[in-house]
Amino acid sequence: MIACLTIPGLDLKAALRRTPTLALRPAALAPEPQGETLIGPVTAAAEAAGVQPGMRLGEALATCPSLALVEPDAAGAELAWEEIVHALEDAGFSVDPASLGVAYFETRGVERLYGGLEPALRRALAAVGTEWDARIGAAGRRFAALAAASVARPGQTVVVADDELPQFLAPLPLTLLPLERGRYEELEALGVRKLGQLAGLPGGAVAERLGPDGRRAWGLARGGTAARVRGRRPPAAVAASLEFPEAVGNELTLRRALAGLVETALARPERRDRFLRKVALAARLESGGSWRRTLTLREPSADPDRIRVALSPRLAELPGPVVELRLELVELTEPTGHQLELLAAGAEDRSRLRDGLRQVRASTGSGSVCTVVEVAPWSRVPESRALLVPKDE
Amino acid sequence: MVARAGESRTARPEGRVVARFNAPRAARVEANANGAPLEVNHRAVALVREEWRVVDRWWTEESVVRRYFEVVLESGENTVVFHDGAEAGSIVGGADDARPGAWAPSAPRGGGWYTQKGA
Repeated sequence: MIACLTIPGLDLKAALRRTPTLALRPAALAPEPQGETLIGPVTAAAEAAGVQPGMRLGEALATCPSLALVEPDAAGAELAWEEIVHALEDAGFSVDPASLGVAYFETRGVERLYGGLEPALRRALAAVGTEWDARIGAAGRRFAALAAASVARPGQTVVVADDELPQFLAPLPLTLLPLERGRYEELEALGVRKLGQLAGLPGGAVAERLGPDGRRAWGLARGGTAARVRGRRPPAAVAASLEFPEAVGNELTLRRALAGLVETALARPERRDRFLRKVALAARLESGGSWRRTLTLREPSADPDRIRVALSPRLAELPGPVVELRLELVELTEPTGHQLELLAAGAEDRSRLRDGLRQVRASTGSGSVCTVVEVAPWSRVPESRALLVPKDE
Repeated sequence: MVARAGESRTARPEGRVVARFNAPRAARVEANANGAPLEVNHRAVALVREEWRVVDRWWTEESVVRRYFEVVLESGENTVVFHDGAEAGSIVGGADDARPGAWAPSAPRGGGWYTQKGA
């Protein structure tokens, strides 16, 4: 069985940990500084007042004038989610965190440990704790497990057997499907409001009308495919942080602070000479919120200058003055994986190369040595950019 | 550059034999429900670095619709794979000739996964 653990509104719950009193009042996660002014998840009191997640800010305030806006705490939410995933891993589950607040895991390996499917799922809920209102759905397929979790109440587990799957999915809303906003409206205009209605349409017709995304959604509405769940590799817990005596908005100062953090993090003994593959830069903002960006390096590296150069442009994306800057080494590789150049640039001996090519040509015949000729370097199709043309001399 | 044995070649009118550079090679790829690769030629994917789409020549009979993934394998090797055609959501994909490393003589047609250098 595949289990899906969901925590709706995790980012709001994480942000409300700073101001717990707001949890009982109409409150919503404030829109991101960049992007559309759409509110994030809302509290139960706000929902009761008619405010829906994803509403425009103006519309939400007009619907509920007493609505409190909670500053997003992206780094706090990431940290909380990491703790939750870690707690599940400590309980023996191999977890694939799909997104913030949604994680999948296979139960097969732990069912015997905990005495069956239901006890294993209860153990997973207990590992997460009651604070987050987590819920779990389990089914033979990923999408079905997600659908089951979407109907479960906080602290509840819902298990769907394979033979009950079509009947279970049929009455569920289309919003469970990963479609663009406009697509739901398009489907509703066609009279398709439930998964069962979409699943009942011919696949070819859906693909023709809605394209590949629609076809994929149609496949999911019929239960989805039987993909395996692969647990993640737990991230490395190496980090360095710097707290400023007063909020800093000056990019030059932040760049210097970043340089110091890179040096400090690389010098940590826990790194054990491993190279960095993925790093995260997080900041606590003066306004009370937080900010976080992750970066995967093109080549694993332990060169402080290279890492600093790769991370520095991210500092320009900071939405406001910062009171704390933090660098996390998310993924590390073994040092033996570093690829060096066989020949240093400029060290080619052209005459020896020519001799070598002549020998190859002599032993394998005409046409075996080629040169690359660019024919359409602007082409978006890589194989159309150049041809291999035999070089016979 | 030394041409590889088995490389697809095309005879030009004047008799010179040319081949495409960086032509795609058929690959055995296992993908998840979203179409992202999990395994490339039986080697597990550690992470997907980047994803992009290429849609070209849509005005011709031989339109190009590809979904590219730049992935890092567990071995640390970086590689680029793409799924040809619109149906990028399949779980286990393979080209018509799904032997890993099989040479694709021309632009791939009819779906399937390929690895490609220079993308």
